[in-house]
Amino acid sequence: MAQEEFIPQLLNRNKKRNHPFGLTRRVKDVLAGRVMGVLSLFAALLVPLIAVILFTRARPIFSAKPLTELLFSRTWHPISGAFGFYPFIQGTLWVTSISMILAIPPSLLTAIYLSEYATPKVRAYIKPLIDLLAGVPSVVYGVWGMLTVVPFVGKFIAPLLTKTLGFIPLFQTDNPTGFSLLAGGLVLGVMVSPIIIAMSTEVFTAVPQGLREASLALGATRWHTVKHVVARRALPGIIAAVVLGFSRAFGETMAVLMVVGNVPQVPSSIFDPGYPLTALIANNYGEMMSIPMYDSALLCAAFILLMVVLVFNLISRLVLLRLTRSI
Amino acid sequence: MKKCKPLSILLVISSLMAGCASSSEMESIDSNPQQTITISGAWALYPMMVRWAEEFHTTYPQVEFDISAGGAGKGMVDALAGAVDIGMVSRKIYQEEIEKGAFWVSVTRDAVFVTVNELNPVLDELRSQGISQETLVGIYITGEITTWGQVVGQLEIQDPVNVYTRSDAAGAPATFAEYLGKNQEDLLGIGVYGDPGVLDAVIKDPLGIGYNNLTYAFDASSGKPVQGAFVVPLDVNANGIMDPEEWFETKGQAVQAVAGGYYPAPPARDLNLVTLGKPTGVVRDFIEWVLTDGQGYVNEVGYIGLSREQLQMELTKIE
Repeated sequence: MAQEEFIPQLLNRNKKRNHPFGLTRRVKDVLAGRVMGVLSLFAALLVPLIAVILFTRARPIFSAKPLTELLFSRTWHPISGAFGFYPFIQGTLWVTSISMILAIPPSLLTAIYLSEYATPKVRAYIKPLIDLLAGVPSVVYGVWGMLTVVPFVGKFIAPLLTKTLGFIPLFQTDNPTGFSLLAGGLVLGVMVSPIIIAMSTEVFTAVPQGLREASLALGATRWHTVKHVVARRALPGIIAAVVLGFSRAFGETMAVLMVVGNVPQVPSSIFDPGYPLTALIANNYGEMMSIPMYDSALLCAAFILLMVVLVFNLISRLVLLRLTRSI
Repeated sequence: MKKCKPLSILLVISSLMAGCASSSEMESIDSNPQQTITISGAWALYPMMVRWAEEFHTTYPQVEFDISAGGAGKGMVDALAGAVDIGMVSRKIYQEEIEKGAFWVSVTRDAVFVTVNELNPVLDELRSQGISQETLVGIYITGEITTWGQVVGQLEIQDPVNVYTRSDAAGAPATFAEYLGKNQEDLLGIGVYGDPGVLDAVIKDPLGIGYNNLTYAFDASSGKPVQGAFVVPLDVNANGIMDPEEWFETKGQAVQAVAGGYYPAPPARDLNLVTLGKPTGVVRDFIEWVLTDGQGYVNEVGYIGLSREQLQMELTKIE
């Protein structure tokens, strides 16, 4: 009772006190809400807007060439009118897959160490250093890749793996330069790991302490606990972290472009040079005006890139949804 | 700070006086008090343009410059889109671009040089024979030449040729490909980003071959090829020997070979300023200044000047 009386009283008092401003307060509130709503709507509409613009600009090439030819033809020779994106799509997939294979296991183990094993003091020192990695500009990674990763791959890893595992086509090479998919994958892997580490550490830390205690009380070791309790509970979050890293790797341009070799061919080995879609756009954007259809071809490449990222995001959302339901 | 004041006053006065001195020629500069010329485009022309802008600004302080580099293609796209007043384009202008309204004036020359590592296994032979157009076609276009032994005609040498090319669309690869009778997309080899990138790859790889612009192939202070690289002269008449007029080793000699016409064009080429339609007003005045007074700085910055006749011809284009 007392409360019910109190609230109107409070409101009345406010009205009386701020009477000349009472209206402006409310107007302000409504206005602020509207403005923020419009801004959010705009942000949400940006991706469809970009997609529509890319599509309209890419339309000349869609109407001139069948989609299957664009996606699956291996010849890229714009001057003679051949626009096959297959080598570039393959290049993107190879580089991204290599980077994810290299980045996911160490990143997850690091995250487990930071959340489960490390003392708070160690964590306080290591975490900011890893976060710092995420802030390094990609062109810096590119220069670093050219100076160290490329020679490392060319002079050390390629001869070693070819000698020992050369019977597997994946490790055969006739490219001694080091500018290769593996170099691109290594640089990308380093770039995406801080993202995966940061996010999965958060996810692991969010697992309720009680679960761990229950497991440990049953006599399980810490590793058992991680494997059977923490990791299981954190799985949807880990997948989200991996997808975020994947999207970053997929769209990364400058660092990859500087180490990957940029040869438009379908790769068959991790030591082959490749040519990702992003690099194609960045390398040739300047020449768009001079060759007929070139601009719509490049915008088509951008459209394909956007679509692939959207599809991957959608799939990961669906997987997440199922996982969270089943837990 | 106190010491600076008289100096800066002096500078202002002198620049004012300089402005007055030639005010009769450049009417459009004086009629507008404050103007900005925006420029973008080729890396090959960027250092020269910065110097020109500085000198022009000292003479006409009311004209400001906004210069950015980003490749010949960007310069062309920006100029045609009206995003900048002047585009720097380090290759020839294509027919499609002329149809879209590109107007251009050549202002200096540059050339692309073949570079190899200084530890190359056949360096002595390259020094005495040079490299012919046919050999370059075999390396860069058909891919028939794969060992350094084939390059110098000693088939017992089996070291492979590691071919590097530019990944980004730019003036240098376009001109080099034109020399070999093709387009940039026909050039074989590992694509490396940017002029310094190709040079770096060649310096790191004893079996590498690449191509670079004059300012990148030669060290600016010493005039010799950049440490670790060797610039291979072209065997223009393909007789298998370095003739005296084909030979060069330092930047000065290379510049003379280009200016004297002994070094073929392409790979030598004119560097152009592109505007959308014929330039007017202060932009026209600036281009005119570049073709006249501005030419005085060309050699100093390390570029190759145009011949007197060609400068005259370019001047009549903007009349």
